[in-house]
Amino acid sequence: MSSEQKALSGAEEARWREAPWQLIPEEPRPPHLNMALDEVLTERVARGERPPTLRVWGWSGPCVVLGRFQSVKNEVNEAAAAEHGVEIVRRISGGGAMFIEPRGAITWSLYAPKSLVEGMSFSESYRFFDAWVVDALRDLGVDAWYEPLNDITSSGGKIGGAAQARRGAAVLHHTTMAYDMNMPLMLDVLRIGREKLSDKGVASADKRVGPIRQQTEMLRQDVIAHMVSSFRDRFGLVDDRLLPEELAEAERRVAERFSRRDWTHYLP
Amino acid sequence: MGQRGEFKTPGGKLVAVEFDVTDGVLRDVVVTGDFFLYPEEALPMLARGLEGSPASLSEPEFATRVAREIEPGVELLGTSPEGIAVAVMRALQARPEAGGGR
Repeated sequence: MSSEQKALSGAEEARWREAPWQLIPEEPRPPHLNMALDEVLTERVARGERPPTLRVWGWSGPCVVLGRFQSVKNEVNEAAAAEHGVEIVRRISGGGAMFIEPRGAITWSLYAPKSLVEGMSFSESYRFFDAWVVDALRDLGVDAWYEPLNDITSSGGKIGGAAQARRGAAVLHHTTMAYDMNMPLMLDVLRIGREKLSDKGVASADKRVGPIRQQTEMLRQDVIAHMVSSFRDRFGLVDDRLLPEELAEAERRVAERFSRRDWTHYLP
Repeated sequence: MGQRGEFKTPGGKLVAVEFDVTDGVLRDVVVTGDFFLYPEEALPMLARGLEGSPASLSEPEFATRVAREIEPGVELLGTSPEGIAVAVMRALQARPEAGGGR
């Protein structure tokens, strides 16, 4: 694929531009709260109480984010996680486990009306939602592309993965990308079996993570700033913030569900 | 949990199936993995067709039983009834795990 060619087509860009996008900027938040916020904000957009929104995540501490359908023991070495102070949380969407360190990960969510991806298959919608980031990374000289079903990858290895959940009239698309990766710690905490690597053409270590930092000198905050300005230039983006009632509702759900063992360990 | 098998669909996602075999039938079946399923609450449907099935069934028979329980409108991405059946066959071929877990 030529570097001139955009991952997102002109026709698709027009579709994006129709929505009045708002930005919730990065702020360090506890892992469980990040999980709850995704549910609360998706529901708000579904009910028309919030315009379509891009949220850049911040993390207050390291964690493993499990996919909705993953078993804890299959994915995490819990003793190692506890030893290193790595929290175990579970998100509302499917997909695979992510190892997160606050300065190593770039995570973002889109809360959009389903109409944005009307007529697309699930697989097409993953590509559609990630395409602007693929373009933004290519602007920075990162050789990135989308790989079905839900990966952003590069010649240097996998950069990140996306997952989606749907609530009423809204779709949540969130993506975590590796900016920098403490590989020894990741391999200590995550269990990565041979079967998972069976179609990857690699013998070991997590399907070759290819953090963004391997391909650019840019600082993490500068990569994020470029992503946001690229989104703003192409689609329009109004600065916004998390409302007190949204935060309060998310905190309530953390207490009632997301921090509870019957959520995090419901598939032990 | 006695028996466990995994299967990763090439270019897709991993599914793991765990169960006990009691009196020749599958019991306490749990299906997990990094696949996608909409709506999320449909997860028990993936195990329902396997629960109580004779361990002597063939791989296509397991696949048929899994598919039968997935209600219309439910979307499974990255794995399939056939993929789940492969994981079941692998679990049946594996030795029971002592003490459960790994």
